[in-house]
Amino acid sequence: MEDQKVISRLTNLGKEITEDIMLNESPKISLPQRSIGNIHFNEEKNLLELGDKTSTRSFLNVAHSRKFMQTILIATKCKELVSREKTASIRELYYQLKHTIADTKENTFEDQNESDPLIVDLETSLGVLREELHLKADDKGTLIGKLTVEDSGDFIDCSKLGRSGLSIPSIVEHYKFHEFDAEYILVIETGAMFDRLVEEKYHLKNNCIMVSTKGQAARGCRRLVHRLTHELKLPAIMFTDGDPWGYYIYSVMKAGSMALAHESKRLGTPKMQLIGMTMTDIDAYDLEKVTEKLKDVDKKRISELLQYPWFQKKEWKEQLALMSSKGVRIEQQALASKSLEFVAEEYLPTKITKKQLLP
Amino acid sequence: MVNMTAGNEREADDLFKEFRETSITEFFRKNRAHLGYSGKLRSLTTIVHEIVTNALDACEEAGILPEIQIGIDSLGVEHYRVSGSDNGPGIPIKHVPDVFGKMLAGTKFHRNVQLRGQQGIGVAGVTLFSQITTGKPIKVKTSTGNGKVHEIELMIDITKNKADILKHEEYSEYWRGTGIGIEVKGVKFNLGERGPFEYLRRTAIANPHTRITFIDPEGRKTIFDRSSEKIPKPPVPVRAHPKGLEVDEIINMAKATKARKANSFLVTSLSRMSNAKVKEIQEYVSFDLDKNPRKLTWSECEEIINAIEKTKFLAPSMEGLEAIGEEHVRNAVLNILDPEFEAVLTRPPKVHSGGIPFQVEVAIAVGGQAGRNVGEGTRYELMRFANKAPLLFDAGGCAITKAVSSVDWKRYGIKDFENSPVTVFVNVLSTHIPYISAGKQSIAEDRKIMKEVRFALMEVGRRFQLYHSRKRRALEKEAKKQILLRYGSELASALAQLSNKNEEKIRKALQKLVDERITGMDLEEEEANESEMETMLEGESEDDSEIPEADFTTEEE
Repeated sequence: MEDQKVISRLTNLGKEITEDIMLNESPKISLPQRSIGNIHFNEEKNLLELGDKTSTRSFLNVAHSRKFMQTILIATKCKELVSREKTASIRELYYQLKHTIADTKENTFEDQNESDPLIVDLETSLGVLREELHLKADDKGTLIGKLTVEDSGDFIDCSKLGRSGLSIPSIVEHYKFHEFDAEYILVIETGAMFDRLVEEKYHLKNNCIMVSTKGQAARGCRRLVHRLTHELKLPAIMFTDGDPWGYYIYSVMKAGSMALAHESKRLGTPKMQLIGMTMTDIDAYDLEKVTEKLKDVDKKRISELLQYPWFQKKEWKEQLALMSSKGVRIEQQALASKSLEFVAEEYLPTKITKKQLLP
Repeated sequence: MVNMTAGNEREADDLFKEFRETSITEFFRKNRAHLGYSGKLRSLTTIVHEIVTNALDACEEAGILPEIQIGIDSLGVEHYRVSGSDNGPGIPIKHVPDVFGKMLAGTKFHRNVQLRGQQGIGVAGVTLFSQITTGKPIKVKTSTGNGKVHEIELMIDITKNKADILKHEEYSEYWRGTGIGIEVKGVKFNLGERGPFEYLRRTAIANPHTRITFIDPEGRKTIFDRSSEKIPKPPVPVRAHPKGLEVDEIINMAKATKARKANSFLVTSLSRMSNAKVKEIQEYVSFDLDKNPRKLTWSECEEIINAIEKTKFLAPSMEGLEAIGEEHVRNAVLNILDPEFEAVLTRPPKVHSGGIPFQVEVAIAVGGQAGRNVGEGTRYELMRFANKAPLLFDAGGCAITKAVSSVDWKRYGIKDFENSPVTVFVNVLSTHIPYISAGKQSIAEDRKIMKEVRFALMEVGRRFQLYHSRKRRALEKEAKKQILLRYGSELASALAQLSNKNEEKIRKALQKLVDERITGMDLEEEEANESEMETMLEGESEDDSEIPEADFTTEEE
């Protein structure tokens, strides 16, 4: 969306609210609900979608007053950013807007946790993207492999950035992809496993692009994987820990998240598959002795996952049931119990060849 | 069962016989507790009580607005002079010896009338107490306003129960009233909850037409000014009401009546009992009411009681009772306690056992000077009164105390009742208060009295709750307004930038919107209050199954 269009949407929001006030009506903002009750799983597309339920934030309701005021402050600041052609991190935005309210000891924002969710509210309510509001989250995630990316006129060969690879920024819209030589994209949950595979030159030996999400994937990372799979027509395979948290990270990469369900189409990679760690790996590779016992929070998380419509595939129900019955979880790095090279030389190539992948 | 007709009169006869047979001092010593002279503090309070009630009763009967001065001087260890004076009608000189020098001279015991002086034995007891502890006579100064003032010093001749006049001076002066001066030993003054100061403070609240000046032993002067100019009507004796009578009481009355026939006995001895009503009674009983009342048997009296239960009567007459009245209690409470909130309620008269009319008045005061100051803060205080006279002692077993603690004050928004700045005022009026014997400082747990007190307190509690929730809502409203204005100012300047409109216009419109919204809350609140009130009234009903109001016809006889 063009900057001018974003500015006019923000201005219209302001005008509508001002009009309410002038007409002596309670000023309000309508927001799509982002709770599970308004999230639908589109099985055909394998994507989370936002329903059409909305909630209203009204200034005269004192339970909403503060958030209402904060939302408008954010909108105003975004309009300024777009007009000045500046981009701020969400943390910078928070500091830009934080000040003491006149004649009080109260701040407009007490911490960043107050402003972050309101940014998403603004995105969904205006139908604009965060990056279109000239906001960016912190950079998170790394990419390595034979791929040349054009960033603001610079050409970056991602195979020539040493062991650390390309740091994925929060906004990747302006990236253009040039030459590449890869058969698939391997997305890895932990930074430590990524480093192991880099050291083993896995991406070179197996001709793939490797991406690390470093825990729950940030938007930039998800958008990049989405674009790579769509634009370069490459399949994507994910490699996570064998626990409910790792599986959920996979599901977010694949189908999108509840918080950003409105952007699933741009962020999700529905054809992605999971290589491991699976519960069947434990027996197949004789890893029983290097598992860890499930904690109460793990068990609770498992039962939560079983409630989600996008975990209703029989393979996933089996995995989660197996995890419960074994009462254990397994980390990616537990494979080091065999040898440091095992993961790169045995585990991944074998499973990929045999297509032992979960949907 | 030996001659059960004797009742009260026999008791009184016994008392007088006791005077003749033993010495009056011995009688006093034996009955100190009953007479209010047990304990050093209590004795002093009783002395003040006797002087004050004499003055108040006399002023009331003569239709005078009372001005009372009480002074207590310290003369040594546990040695005081108490002086009191009033602007009352004065005492005709021929009555002075009886009033001050003869124990149990009065006739109050046998009149069905509400008088403060039901407690104690009268001012002659003060004379005796002074005489026993110091050996000194009391000094009396009195005049009926006829230009002659009498100054008398007298003691009680304890063998004859008769005044012994030691000195009598008469001089000309136009002054009216009665003054008394006594010296006492073995008593103690303090400003505490049971001392003379508190006694006078409470007397002032229950007698708003009275002006009391008090000078304590430190020389500090306190004036409890009157808040009403209306002199209460003197109470008149009344006959018992039929409802609530018991068999033995009918028998007692029948023995004493001059009527020759039972039917005329009922008409003359009971209130609200007309010839027509007696005819109704006759329908229910198996014997002829033409018979001699002295020959009524126990079971015949039972039949009469049963018949009375089936018959409707006018409610008991208030004549025997003289309530202070809501307006006067409120004025007195405002005057003395200056509270933040007060609620006052005078209940309609009821009868307790024996067909004796009684009536309950309550008030609750919160904040201001209400409650009792103790070292660490303000605690709740209960002011008990019987026929407007403060009850300071024996609070524990008293029906009033128990009724107060039976109320769930939390329900009415008073969370920590014991430790709140609350004064609860309860006045029980009756021609005959059922005291727990010793000292007449405590009312027996009569079920009906307790129920009346409880209902009255619940009603004032509900009124407090309404006030309290209104106040709380007002605070909430103010807080909401503050929030909206606070964020509104941020909102207005941001909106001006966002919408490219004039900031000042937005600010004014928003201010107007907030103001109207808060005013709108007022209307909503009133509606809410009304429905709340209705629910509360529907809530706990007064189930007085024994004497339903419907039992009484409303037209006058």
